[in-house]
Amino acid sequence: MFARPGLPSFEYVRPSTAREVVDRLLDLDDKAKLLMGGTDLFPGMRDGLFHPSTVIDVKYLPTMRQIDYRPDTGLHVGAAVTMNEIARHPAVTNHYPLLAQAAASVASYQVRNRATLGGNLCNASPCADTAPATLVLEGQVVLYGGAGERLVPAGQFFLGPGRTVLQPGEFMTAVRFPPSASPSAARYLKLGRCKSGDLSLVGVAILCHCDAADAGVRFRIGLGSVAPTALRAEKAEGFLAASRITESDLIGAAQLAMEASSPITDVRGTASYQKAMVQTLTLRGLREAWAQLQEAQ
Amino acid sequence: MGHHSIIVTVNGAKEHLDVPSNMTLLQMLREKLALTGTKNGCEAGECGACTVLLNGEPVNSCMTLAAEVDGCEVLTVEGLAPQGQLSPLQEAFVEYNAVQCGFCTPGMLMTAHALLKRNPRPTEDEIKEALVGNLCRCTGYVRIIKAIQATAEKGGA
Amino acid sequence: MAALTSDPVGQSVPRIDSYEKVTGSATFADDMQFGPGLYYGRLVRSPYAHALIKHMDASRALSVPGVKAVVMGKDVPNNIGLYLIDRPIFARERVRYVGEPVAGVVATSEEIAHEAALLVEVEYEELPTVFDPEIGAQPGAPLLHPDLGQYEVANFIFPEPGTNISEHFRLRKGNVNAAWSSCAAIVEGTFRLPQIQHVPIEPHIAVGLWETSGHVTLWTCSQSPFAQRDLMAQSLGIPHGNLRVVSPYVGGGFGGKAGISMEVCAVVMARATQGHPVKLRMTREEEFIGTTVRQSLVAHTKIGCDAEGNLLAMETRYFFGGGAYNDYGVNIARAAGYSCTGPYLIPNVQGDSYCVYTNQPIGSAMRGFGMPEIHWGIEQIMDQLAERIGMDPADFRRRNCVKSGQAILTGMKMPPIDLVACIDRAAEAIDWTRKEEPSAKHKKRGKGIAIMWKAPAMPPNPGSAAIVRFNEDATVNVSVGAQDLGQGAFTVMAQMAAQALGVPYEWVRISVPVDTKYSPYEWQTVASRITWSTGNAVRTAALDAKRQILEIVAAHWGENSDDLDIKDGTVFSYRTEEELPLKGMVVYGLPNENFEGWKGGPIVGQGRFMPTYVTNLDAETGQGNRAVVHYTVGAQAVDLEVDTETGEIEVLNIASIYDVGKAINPDLIMTQIEGGAVHGMSSAYEALKFDDVGRPLNPNLVDYRISSATDIPKAIHGGYVETPLEDGPWGARGVGEHVMVPTAPAMANALYDALGIRFSDLPLSAEKIYLAIHDSSKLGADSG
Repeated sequence: MFARPGLPSFEYVRPSTAREVVDRLLDLDDKAKLLMGGTDLFPGMRDGLFHPSTVIDVKYLPTMRQIDYRPDTGLHVGAAVTMNEIARHPAVTNHYPLLAQAAASVASYQVRNRATLGGNLCNASPCADTAPATLVLEGQVVLYGGAGERLVPAGQFFLGPGRTVLQPGEFMTAVRFPPSASPSAARYLKLGRCKSGDLSLVGVAILCHCDAADAGVRFRIGLGSVAPTALRAEKAEGFLAASRITESDLIGAAQLAMEASSPITDVRGTASYQKAMVQTLTLRGLREAWAQLQEAQ
Repeated sequence: MGHHSIIVTVNGAKEHLDVPSNMTLLQMLREKLALTGTKNGCEAGECGACTVLLNGEPVNSCMTLAAEVDGCEVLTVEGLAPQGQLSPLQEAFVEYNAVQCGFCTPGMLMTAHALLKRNPRPTEDEIKEALVGNLCRCTGYVRIIKAIQATAEKGGA
Repeated sequence: MAALTSDPVGQSVPRIDSYEKVTGSATFADDMQFGPGLYYGRLVRSPYAHALIKHMDASRALSVPGVKAVVMGKDVPNNIGLYLIDRPIFARERVRYVGEPVAGVVATSEEIAHEAALLVEVEYEELPTVFDPEIGAQPGAPLLHPDLGQYEVANFIFPEPGTNISEHFRLRKGNVNAAWSSCAAIVEGTFRLPQIQHVPIEPHIAVGLWETSGHVTLWTCSQSPFAQRDLMAQSLGIPHGNLRVVSPYVGGGFGGKAGISMEVCAVVMARATQGHPVKLRMTREEEFIGTTVRQSLVAHTKIGCDAEGNLLAMETRYFFGGGAYNDYGVNIARAAGYSCTGPYLIPNVQGDSYCVYTNQPIGSAMRGFGMPEIHWGIEQIMDQLAERIGMDPADFRRRNCVKSGQAILTGMKMPPIDLVACIDRAAEAIDWTRKEEPSAKHKKRGKGIAIMWKAPAMPPNPGSAAIVRFNEDATVNVSVGAQDLGQGAFTVMAQMAAQALGVPYEWVRISVPVDTKYSPYEWQTVASRITWSTGNAVRTAALDAKRQILEIVAAHWGENSDDLDIKDGTVFSYRTEEELPLKGMVVYGLPNENFEGWKGGPIVGQGRFMPTYVTNLDAETGQGNRAVVHYTVGAQAVDLEVDTETGEIEVLNIASIYDVGKAINPDLIMTQIEGGAVHGMSSAYEALKFDDVGRPLNPNLVDYRISSATDIPKAIHGGYVETPLEDGPWGARGVGEHVMVPTAPAMANALYDALGIRFSDLPLSAEKIYLAIHDSSKLGADSG
């Protein structure tokens, strides 16, 4: 009933090739867990949520810890890149500041030295801080398994709390983000139960940019912690695309974002408060991003 | 359960250790090397009492496996200054009464040391953000922040 | 050469323990090494809040390789307890809270003990539960302790057998019923607080060793080595002299490492594996619900004043949720009862304070010992009455707060203090009379004030003792049974010893660890009593040593010892100006002329302090000559902003002023004030949460959050006044608990100033504040 002292017994293995990882996963099935930063795995093991016989450390595979950026192909983030590495990398801060903000908001500095983008996404907690940003930035996750590599748009990756489209034998090797629109402005707003360091009670990721085709302004809105998975507030986005982006349009969009959310009441907060905060944070994010974009133009 | 033969440099000294798969870095330091300055406060990565520097970066050693640190460098509170001396931060903690019960102190020092190494002139807000993962119940953090500011002003770490 | 400090009392000398703590060399309980013979223990805990134990079978657990013993309730027939002996060490016929220990497994590793503990089979039959203390106090509520009438109890505690009431304190002064008609304004309110936990950064650890000779040692982080020895001696039938408790540095106590909780389990488990020390370590999750907590409270209070704003009457009822066992909690209800007016003069008072058994974790001593709980309601209802009568809250308090010499609710005369000065300085520090603009249009700003009092809550005869010994080089070893929990006790003891002896502060060491085998007696390190009580003992012991030295040197010089003194470690004569260093003579004595014999020998000073003037209180009226030893008083003022769009609070300033009698170490007073303000603020947001069958929902640091560095107020203005305590060393009284008592109600009063909404139930949260703001049109001005 209560978390156990220390970690239960398990084998720790560190394969040197991706193929080896796949073979072990296929062999052990749900008796194996992948280890990235361990910041979700180890507490989960103490709490009895996971009982792997084998923990497979994938951090050291080639490219898992690389960040690469090219203006024409975009950002490639290895799945084992840590939150701190993401938050301070010039390619991210310059071209994908939304991702930097989201990564920087996770827990504490110590945790961010271990927690990884891949781990955050694959753990698929409804309150994962990098999920709304990944959706808004239209990232694609790179999965490697028995049949080789496949790309899955982030919007199709999450199935529910703790559930993703990862098949037996598959693991995430990277996340790719398309070239970012320029100019653009972004905000990740996170409400916790205290000023810093908490899980997200409500997370809102906003991006606004000029649409190359018609020179109109487009907003993308990602919501976290207020539904079984992170989601895009598509109605709100569509509303703003068709609007003149007045203050009352922003208010209307925030209202639509709130309506897109379906938070639950639990020990962390009530549904009614979280819903109201979707509205508050979305409106703040829209105002700030819009103001910043106008300044940049 | 498997054992792993690792070579890890702790406070500048190369250690050859045999560790079980499920031993955390915290347990390794305290039980294999008798470096008891690093503390167990929660075993969940929340309180920061177990903070050490792993290849120069602060981590919660309770959430890191000993088997993972093969080939790495670890710095604990015992390695901040040579025997019998105090580092600039340690001196400031003493001078500013940033210590009460002392249980959070080693973790605080490691986080602060890493902060000043990467950001020698942090603002007050940057100091507070850096300390989010180190809980203290006695001091209210006031003197800890002052001690770090004072050390930064002198160019120390 | 390092500087030496003369006359250290009143100076902000560096802490005596900082060096060890910053180097990581300070030894805490889990750091102690016991060698390869060490065994490890894990407790089997009840999953039910209230249930009969029908059957237990440990055979599967015992068959696990490495398991050495399984201990159960049937092996430990006696209860244990401080003021009321109501607690089994391992549950016997029933369990009374989720997490109650029903068995202890001892094994060669913690991992094996844990795995084996999962194999202990227990069959339960659930019983109806009690979670609300007011409901639990009603006749017909499910009975948690049918044998209440048979428990041994201190003669100042009054349980009501046949009910769940473990203590009922009655305060009757004047004529409350008649007084209401003279009141120009009356207000009534109900205030609720949940259980919260101390959250020391160091969880509880205990190592027990039971030797085949019958000698027993307990190593544990303890505020109360002697009290723990006493309780175990009584419960386990061990002679005091065969039982030893050793406490290294304590990583935060706050009352949670006082009294006794899991420590005795380690000793009983060690009895089953004699010759091997057994370490029992609480995980953080167990620390939350398996040690002790602060009691919950439901308070109903009604107060009234005349047209000038003078308080005339108070009627109040407290229902403390004491948890499953109330052996310490009963005194909290008592202390709340004899303090129920708060620091105010009210001529007519009717108070009933109940400690009630509930199927929850064990309520026990936590910083403030009932005072934070009752001041939450008192300080808000005073604000409500001030508003009703049209008075400024600070002025209302200046008028009505208790002054030196006044007869308080128990009839005792208030010892000299200056609460008005505390109010004045706190109000000034936050610019009380200036209404200030919020920093943005969606924010509201408010200021609130709250005052407090607390007396050390103790039995009438709690003693301290001290020994002062010299080393050959004239450095001094001071032995006390008091503990430094971080509050700085060792530092101020060293200062006082140095001052009284006439040696530099840097020459004094405190003999650690505290060890009942070598340290002199100390009742407990609780109640903010150490500076006062142990300080007196240390001062007496130092003066005793000094007297011995002066007599020897006087005889050596052929002088009168009245003409001699010691300064900076040197004896000198006022008359002849001759000097003699202490070095050497404090151990070896002094040779006569031509070495014709010697004078003196090893100097050992002894001292004790025990208050002798506390009297009983009448069981029906709570009246008596001297209810308590003294009071410490103080005031806090809070300036805060509320973001009305999220409910988030930002505390801009906490001003905190206390009457400390004498600041032995001014900077350590300030660090207590700072830490206390943050602890008090944090406590306003904290709550242990349970589901409807009593299972804890947030026994971890993720969902039970304490203040981090980014949560602290923008500014804390601390200060003190010094109205000497008559029997305090250099006039000093304690302040360690007081500094966190009024913060939560001061915040609530500031919220009312900002929003016009009163929050009568803890915990506060951004969510609660937001929902109250946005529903206040529907709910009216009061929100719970």
